[in-house]
Order: sequence, then structure tokens, then C-alpha cells
Amino acid sequence: MQKAGLLPEITPKQREAFVGYLFILPTYVGFIIFILYPLIESMRISFQEFSLLRGSTYIGFDNYAQMFADPRLRISYVNTVTFTLFAVFFNAGVGLILAVMLNRRLPVLMRNLYRSIFFFPVLIAHTYIAVIWRFLYAQDTGVINYYLGVFGVDAIPWLSNAHWAMAAIIILDVWKNTGFAMLVFLAGLQSIPNEYYEAAQLDGANERQLFFRVTIPLLSPTIFFILVIFMIGALQVFDTIIVLTAGGPGDATRSVVLYIYEIAFRTFNMGYAAAVSMTLFAIILVLTALQFWISRRWVHYE
Amino acid sequence: MAQTASTAFGQSNRPRRSRRKPLKISDIISYTILTVAAIFVMMPLAWMFSTSLRPTTESFQLPPAWLPTEFRWENYVAPFESSVPFVDLFINSMRITVAVTVGQLITCSLAGYAFARLRFPGRDLLFLLLLASLMVPGQVTIIPIFLLMRDLGLIDNPLAIILPGLISAFGVFLMRQFFKQMPQELFDAARVDGAGHVRSFLQIALPLAGPAMATLAIITFNATWNAYFLPLVFLNSWHKMTLPQGIALLTGYMGSGNPSVVMAAVTMAIIPVLIVFIALQRWIIEALTRSGLKG
Repeated sequence: MQKAGLLPEITPKQREAFVGYLFILPTYVGFIIFILYPLIESMRISFQEFSLLRGSTYIGFDNYAQMFADPRLRISYVNTVTFTLFAVFFNAGVGLILAVMLNRRLPVLMRNLYRSIFFFPVLIAHTYIAVIWRFLYAQDTGVINYYLGVFGVDAIPWLSNAHWAMAAIIILDVWKNTGFAMLVFLAGLQSIPNEYYEAAQLDGANERQLFFRVTIPLLSPTIFFILVIFMIGALQVFDTIIVLTAGGPGDATRSVVLYIYEIAFRTFNMGYAAAVSMTLFAIILVLTALQFWISRRWVHYE
Repeated sequence: MAQTASTAFGQSNRPRRSRRKPLKISDIISYTILTVAAIFVMMPLAWMFSTSLRPTTESFQLPPAWLPTEFRWENYVAPFESSVPFVDLFINSMRITVAVTVGQLITCSLAGYAFARLRFPGRDLLFLLLLASLMVPGQVTIIPIFLLMRDLGLIDNPLAIILPGLISAFGVFLMRQFFKQMPQELFDAARVDGAGHVRSFLQIALPLAGPAMATLAIITFNATWNAYFLPLVFLNSWHKMTLPQGIALLTGYMGSGNPSVVMAAVTMAIIPVLIVFIALQRWIIEALTRSGLKG
């Protein structure tokens, strides 16, 4: 096959390497242009006073210093953390309860039907769901207040009161996303071998002990996965909020990502927006690392 | 008391073996909770649909009628006659989604195959670097990408969304895991028959990669179809926008004036998802479970 002479000899090894680089080329070109370069550039921009028209000037850490004097950013962080704590807790908690119940003795048809129903909202865009729920949350004409009224609850100002607006966003988020947690938990539960339960039952364990001593430890890698995934997602909440409340009333539901979007693309203060986004990135990395570190104390890998 | 509450959390791969046990109280409790939860999940969608068919004057009817009482299909025509170019939005969304999905299938299967089955210097390091990028949130890279697209004159152009979407670290990871599981014998046999690396990829690996490709296609298609952040940043004229953008604006601009029409528009936007879900349910659930457990 190989022609000796004019061309330098190509070994099969070199050929394999060549094909390998060729195959990853499209991905790596995209990776460099749309991830690596923007990441480095973002860091550079964060040290600049940025102006689309006048060009940019280097200002050192001023953008980072400005963050500490920005009350709106502080509120955005408080909101984001509040949202994250509640959203992660309820998404994982409700998802786990639904999964455990679906994993009980159920007719197969019923299990599949309920699983599909719980999961379907995961596939619908946040935007559409927020549009629907905006009507449901309406104070005087909304369906939710109507039914609460039936039980004698006064009309709740869902979207016009600071605390209720946050609650409204969390409820919507759990309604939409808990199905994903349910699905992953259900798969996790079904992969636990029956032998563990049989052995524990022989030792006289009751249902509660089975759940806390067998199910939860064996499910802990899945629980950990869900907590990390939902935390990272919740820290970046954006779509729902911009459609449902646009950050209001006042700043009550403004999330950090919504704020970054506003600074970058409404006021075009790109330097400051880059600094805020780099900080959020760092916080997400630290929190994720922290979760991994804590997980060593409670996650049991077989 | 405590006993019944705790049994509601009881475990149960077991009962598969003992089929005909009598119903216990705990079973009834969990059936009830599951049913209530299922109703709660379906209610907003039921309200959406029944409202979309109601005459405008009765949009706000309370108590809400959960099943449609009248069938005003003209509400479904109204979005097309409004100043929102509904057909364009649909086509734009479809074009972007198909381009991104097809692009990712190509780039991810190539790179996934190389990382799984070919040997070349720096392979594992390059793969790790790519994998690490999964942790970079979109809003960190969006500003330089925006400036880049502006310099390229691609603002308000679907390419601004398609180009960054053509690659996916997650997709490469998914494909690599799949190609890695294939038995080496397949490739050895091909080598004996004189097949090169490219032919091994095209004629042996790819035809067997159906399930992984379907998984990636479903996840990418849904994520792109539903995307809001990128279109919001890049597309700003009516005729370039995507469906989620258009519907968010439709609501804003029709205000709460005509929920029936808005709900008709939302229903139309959700129906393709519903159809795909019902048709490919098994696949989707398996795909997302698998990606979830390994992600």
C-alpha cells in the first residue's frame, strides 16, 4: 500500500493520530472560538471600563470593587440564594417522594402513566410555562386564588408582593422540574438489588428502617447528583423570572443572571457585567467543589 | 400513626414477586397522593387548553371550566392574523433547532469516536479540558460571543445562535461513552478486512450508534427548541425571532387582554413537544435517565 520514496513514510500510528486530530477538529475549533476564547476575553473585559462607542480602558479591579457598593447586586444574590435553597430542596424532596411511591407495588400501566405525567412539564419551555402561570397567579381573576378562596383563603397578591412573588417562582419551578428528579430517582431505586432488602428483612428490619438504612444510603450517589445538578441550574435561574415577574416587584425576584443580562444588554456596561459573571462562575465552582467535599461524608459508593 | 406514615415511604422492588397481596392502607395512601399530584401537574395544561377554546369574553370565567365547553377554533387562527408573524417564528425556531441538532450529531459523533477508539498524543488531556468546559455557565461567555458576533455582522442573524450550538462537550461525552462500550472484536475484524479508521467509523461504529445518536438528538432538539436566553440576546426583529420569544412578547403586548388567543398560541407551541413525547416516550425517558445518571 505505501509508496516508498518521494513522500516520507507514514506509520500506521501516525495515520491513526492524524485521523484522531481530524475527527476532533470541528469540536475543538468550536470549543476554542465559543468557550475558551470567550472565557479568557471575559476575564480581560472584567478589568475594563467598557464602552461600545468610545473603546475600552483598563481600570484594574474597579469593576470588582464596585460590586461591594452595589445594593442591587446584593439583593440579586440574596434572591438567587433563597431561590436556590428552596428550589433544590423541594425539587429533590418532591421528586424523591414521587419516585418512592411510583416504585411501590403499582400496576405497570399506572406507573408508566404517572411517570409520564410528572415528567412532561420538564420538556416544555420555561417561557411557555411562565406565560401560562402568569394568568393562573392573577390576583383577582386567577384560578389559584379562586380555589384558595373556596377554602376561605384571602386573595394572595402572588406577583405584586415581594415574598409571594418569590414563592410563586419557586412553586412554578418545582412544578416544572421535579419530574426530572423523579425520573432519575426512580431509575436509581430500580437499580438497587432486591437482595439488600431481603437480607435486611431477614434481620427483622421494618419498613422505616429499610428506607433509612438501605434505600437512602444506596441511593446517595443519585441524591448527590440531583443536588449538584439542581443547585447549578438554580443559581443560573433566568427564563422563568424574566417572563413571570421581570425581577419585580421592585427588585424582589431579580436573580444574578437576570441582573447580568440587564447590565450587559440593556445598559451595555459590559465590563461590570463581565466582572459580575466571573464572580458568579467562581461562586458556582466553589459551591460545587464544596458539595463534592461534603459528599465524602455521606455519599456511599458501592 | 407513625407506622402508617413510614410505610408510605416503604420500599418495593420486592412486591413484584408476591403479586396478589391484598391492598394495604399504605397503598391507598400512596395511590391517593400520586393521583392528587398528577392532577396538580395536569391542571395548568388543562386550563391552558380549555381557555384556548373559550370565547374571549369568557377567558376569565370563574370557577374555571376544566374541560372545553365551547370550541372557538378561531382563537387558533387569531395568532396568525395578529401583527406577530407566527409562521415566521415557527420556521425560525425549526431552522435553528434542526441546524444545531444535525451539527451536533456530526461533530459529537466524530469527536466522541476519536476520544473513545483512536490513540493520539494528548488525547486524554484534550478530552478533560473539553469536559471541564461543561462547568462554564453560558452567561460568562455570552459577552465576548456577543461582541464577536457584532464584529462579524451577525446580530439579528440566526447564525449567531447556530454557530455556537454546533458543538457540545456534553454530546462528545455521551458519544464517547457509547463508542467505548463497543466490543473491540468488531473493529479488529474490520481491520483484518483492510478497513481504515474512517471506514471503521462510518461503516461499523455509526450504524450501531443509533441509540446514542437518538439520545443526543432528543436532548439537543428539546433544549434548542426551548432556548430563550441566546435568542433574546441576539435576535431583535420580529421576523428573525424564535417561538419562545414571540410568545413571551405576544403575552406582553396583548397584555392580559386576550388570554384565549395567547393560550391558543401556547398550545400550538407545546403540541409538537407533546406529539414527540407520546411517540418517543420510551426513548425520551430512557435517554434522559441515562444521560442523567452518567452526566
